[in-house]
Amino acid sequence: MSDPNVSPSSADAAGATTVVRHHWVVRLTHWIAVVAVTVMAASGLQIYNAYPAFARKGETFCCYPFEGSPAPGWLTFGGWLAGARNWHFAMMWLLVLNGLAYLTFIYLHGEWRDLVPRRGVPRDAWEMVKFYAFVRREHPLQGKHNALQRAAYFAMPMVGAVLVLTGLAIWKPVSLSWITGLFGGYVWARYWHFLAMTVLFALIAGHVFMVFSVDPYALRSMVTGRYDERLSPERRNARPFYHLLPRYGRRGGGVHARPASASAAPAAPAATVTPPAGGDA
Amino acid sequence: MIDRRKFIALGGSSLAAALAAACDSQGPRGAQRILRFAERRNEGLERWLTTHDTRDVASRGARDARAAFPEYFISRQMPVWDAAARGVWRLEVGGAVRRPASLTLDDLQRLPRVSQRVNHYCVEGWTAAATWHGVRVRDLARLVEPAPEVGYVDFESFDDGYHESWDLESATHPQTLVAYGMDGHLLSPGHGAPARLHSPVKLGYKNTKYLTRVMFLPKRTGGYWSDQGYEWYGGV
Repeated sequence: MSDPNVSPSSADAAGATTVVRHHWVVRLTHWIAVVAVTVMAASGLQIYNAYPAFARKGETFCCYPFEGSPAPGWLTFGGWLAGARNWHFAMMWLLVLNGLAYLTFIYLHGEWRDLVPRRGVPRDAWEMVKFYAFVRREHPLQGKHNALQRAAYFAMPMVGAVLVLTGLAIWKPVSLSWITGLFGGYVWARYWHFLAMTVLFALIAGHVFMVFSVDPYALRSMVTGRYDERLSPERRNARPFYHLLPRYGRRGGGVHARPASASAAPAAPAATVTPPAGGDA
Repeated sequence: MIDRRKFIALGGSSLAAALAAACDSQGPRGAQRILRFAERRNEGLERWLTTHDTRDVASRGARDARAAFPEYFISRQMPVWDAAARGVWRLEVGGAVRRPASLTLDDLQRLPRVSQRVNHYCVEGWTAAATWHGVRVRDLARLVEPAPEVGYVDFESFDDGYHESWDLESATHPQTLVAYGMDGHLLSPGHGAPARLHSPVKLGYKNTKYLTRVMFLPKRTGGYWSDQGYEWYGGV
């Protein structure tokens, strides 16, 4: 508990286990991003539906199998093309300013250390995959985030930056033609914009799925900031929909103690357990 | 009494209802004011970004759209200038200008001719490459000498009242043409004959076809699509 972000806030028999995990700036920017990204994606699909294809007129497009098929109406927002454009070009400022506020904060406040890839992330991520696939019995040791989380949360702002740049490229292909040129011209920039949106959607879908199926107790930490470490996936040895209930986590003393159910299984040799992710664990 | 479970159920269902109503709608009405505010802010930025030095060139690898270039008009039938009923077509260039002009197609073709191969950027998201032949609006402005207070140009048509007004800077951009030819031929009726506006610095809907009047004005006068909710500036 040397990290100043993690301050003990309640003490009980098991010691101080409830920590403040997320600073209010992180929580606020997270939920603003939820609204902004949702509106941007839905209005973007409405805009896309005005010409649900990528080919320049008189040409064919090589690399999209669904040319001509619009997105379903219930995924769209804005009502019509002009309405969606007005939402898109207003909400983009909230998205960008919110994203910059978040990145500036985590840079100044140090949380970026929990997210930038370290040496060993691919190996740790592979251990997590093995664990989720029931190949490995024990949840790998982790800090605030496991290696898969680190990769996903690091990728999201990166994909967001691609979305912003490709967005500028197709908003102003003449005034900012140098940006459009970077992405291979208007048609390709529009394609990368669409593709980056689907990648971001996949990351978000995975994130939301894992929150509800593995660590629903993390919802509290993104609302009030507080997180009960006794209920961490590591303590519960939790996989999606597996060891979801609090009773798997409350037992045991130390932060890294194994839940009773897992200790019945042959313990993995200490040498194969991956090292703790960061100083905050 | 509403207990917590009921509260969550109620809140959840009303949130779901609100979301369902929001989907495929224009969103809350109160937000429209914010959206208009954002549009004006964006216009300021877009004007700052659009200089007379920025040029569009259709890339050499891009194929000309030719027959695939969409034809578009708002009248029920394709507008065709009826010379028997309405006399010889003329382009009136006027407004707050010192020397208003009325130009026949021959007059236009005698003015300095520009040919440029550029993209057409449609608000829907498609682009089409073509070569356009015509006169720079900038040269028309030199001809009629707009008053100093002129800041906007309205381009009117005989297509059922279709018109769009532009900022003077975009209208006098060197790539903004009153075009009477396309891909080596005179304009076809589907593309706005006898003359239309064409510029790569504005979205397609700003480029009035079937031109009748070019009016240099001190105030902006909206437009067919911009009055319905599309951005007035419509820059690219």
